[in-house]
Amino acid sequence: MWATLAFTFGTLIVFIFLDRFVANDIQRRSDAWLSGEVEVLGDVAERTPNDALYNRVVGEVAELASREVPEKAASQQPENDSVFFIQTARDGALKLWVGAGDGESHLQAIRASQLAASRPVSIHVRGYSVPFRVASDSMGDGGRVYLGLSERDQRRVLLNLRIRFFVLWLSIVLLGFAIVFFTSRRTLSHVRNITEAASHIGESDLKLRVPTSSRNDEISQLGYTLNRMLDRIENGVNQLHTITDSLAHDLRSPLTAIRGKLETSLASHDADHAEPIVSAIEELDRLTDFLNKSLDVAEAKADALRLHPTDIDLDELLRSTIDLYEPSMNDRGIRLRLHSANPVHIVADEGLIHRMVANLFDNELKHVPSGCSVDIYLQEQEGEARLIVRDNGPGFDPEVREHLFTKAVKGRKSSGHGLGLAFVDAVVRAHAGTVAADNLASGGARILVSLPSAANQADRVHAVHAG
Amino acid sequence: MHQGCVSSTNILCMRLLMVEDEHDIQSFLQQALSEAGYTVDVAPDGRAAENFAKTNNYDILIVDLGLPDQDGITLITRLRQLGVLAPVLILSARRSVDDRVRGLEQGGDDYLTKPFALAELLARLRNLLKRNAPQGSELTKLRVQDLELDLLRREASRSGQVLQLTPQEFVLLEYLCRNAGRVVTRSMILDKVWGMRIQPDTNVVDVHIYRLRGKVDTNGQSPLIRTLRGVGYVLQDR
Repeated sequence: MWATLAFTFGTLIVFIFLDRFVANDIQRRSDAWLSGEVEVLGDVAERTPNDALYNRVVGEVAELASREVPEKAASQQPENDSVFFIQTARDGALKLWVGAGDGESHLQAIRASQLAASRPVSIHVRGYSVPFRVASDSMGDGGRVYLGLSERDQRRVLLNLRIRFFVLWLSIVLLGFAIVFFTSRRTLSHVRNITEAASHIGESDLKLRVPTSSRNDEISQLGYTLNRMLDRIENGVNQLHTITDSLAHDLRSPLTAIRGKLETSLASHDADHAEPIVSAIEELDRLTDFLNKSLDVAEAKADALRLHPTDIDLDELLRSTIDLYEPSMNDRGIRLRLHSANPVHIVADEGLIHRMVANLFDNELKHVPSGCSVDIYLQEQEGEARLIVRDNGPGFDPEVREHLFTKAVKGRKSSGHGLGLAFVDAVVRAHAGTVAADNLASGGARILVSLPSAANQADRVHAVHAG
Repeated sequence: MHQGCVSSTNILCMRLLMVEDEHDIQSFLQQALSEAGYTVDVAPDGRAAENFAKTNNYDILIVDLGLPDQDGITLITRLRQLGVLAPVLILSARRSVDDRVRGLEQGGDDYLTKPFALAELLARLRNLLKRNAPQGSELTKLRVQDLELDLLRREASRSGQVLQLTPQEFVLLEYLCRNAGRVVTRSMILDKVWGMRIQPDTNVVDVHIYRLRGKVDTNGQSPLIRTLRGVGYVLQDR
């Protein structure tokens, strides 16, 4: 845009200079003509005997000279009013007049300008809209001769030139604008495609690449650069997967062996000796769970959580989860209510969403004291599935609230390993959603989970493929 | 020692090939599977597994994904090409189940991530065998000792006395009855009754079991639902 403006003004300035240059040149040429002619006429006037023929001779010469006017357009008027010749006597009285009219107004204008030098000057004559260029010469008898040339023709020539300049300038600028408009629109649509593809990649699939064209311009270079960067990111993520996988593998194999041996020895012992084995198995299961969650949270923090999305009805999922948790809540004296009227569909990894929701419920079960109530709200708003878990318990510890969703943060009285809400955050963010938590003014805590709804996601995917 | 077997639907006669390279896991699995009545052959790598499969006919296979000489999935594909039709239980130490395993799961095989409860391993093996066995007529009634479940009317009774169960409690009791005499774990219950593969930090499943027990094992009757701490639950069939 700025380049086009600079181009526009640049060409305009060039044309203005060109115009000035041509105008000056025309002026100079006509001035030279005037100076030469007035000298000749002065000579003729001086040498011609001052008799009856004098007026005619000088008049003829002046008339002839006027026909040689440079840049003269074909005169439409019968009377030539573009040139005049005046000879004055020593006292300044009009001695000879050649031209249209009686010459009085011309003489008055010349007197008013007190023209003296031999260099031509511009003089405004009453009754004429265009000034005359007048040159003068003194004669031996003290009189003077004046030759005036109207600047009309000169101006017409200049005007023609300016019109042509303007038309030329306008077409150049319009052409420039058109070229810039179309190329930049094309370029921008390429950039937009790349941006859309890149944001889609950022949200879901690292295997995708931004579109590249075969043209070897800056935009396709950008595409290639982005793709090379994506290659490296994908590589890094794959490496992370390899590391977490082998870490998981190296830990899980011995865990499996230990658990299996404990279980077989549990079967061969009587009840009296079973207790330490049982608690060992339970500890082992907790360790496994911790390992799984830590690795999931670590992967999610690195945006490397592997997703297998399917269509899920959150309403149905919440109902069966509530079915599962309600007896435990009732046992602890907590009232659990669901406020959800319609099915709300999302496209997400079913296993992860199940565990995420279970974590939210576990969190309530662990932290809300007896006699309180927990309210679950589910609604679809502006292309988002919104899940709100609200209780009227003591709320979050102020010191914990700031870092609620970071790894291994828990309240002083909490028994968990502090991964619950970090896991919730990780899963929600892997699905391009958001989590927020706050304490209500009326007391109690609130957790708000927003996930893109299925319809919204279908639209976005469609837009990317269409683009 | 399995040559005396005549029937092919009895677990006692089932021949199982276990492909697992970790010695510790091999040993306890072999012991547990033998105790459960399977005849077990152990192959430490893919090549040995292929040789076993060529010489013997197996009813079921357990394949670990991380083998020293090849990938478990590749081995399963090769075995299928060799004409091995038996169902496969895949053991995976990887954290998430990759797409190829999902593909196999849809083809009738199953997977289990390490570490697992023995009860769950045995239950999954039984399920795989049941799927492959000729289907008998669908039961309409389940009976375990004096407990009777009418699957059509969704009604349970003990000693002729109708139990007041919620629909969810009935589903839970039905699951226990179908596995009567066998241990079921919490994660098996969550998977089969609630359709969730989750590991809650809290004792949600236990509370359901306590409530169910409160209705099934009332005063004066011998308790049917037993808790095996560290393992799971069992509905006693004798």
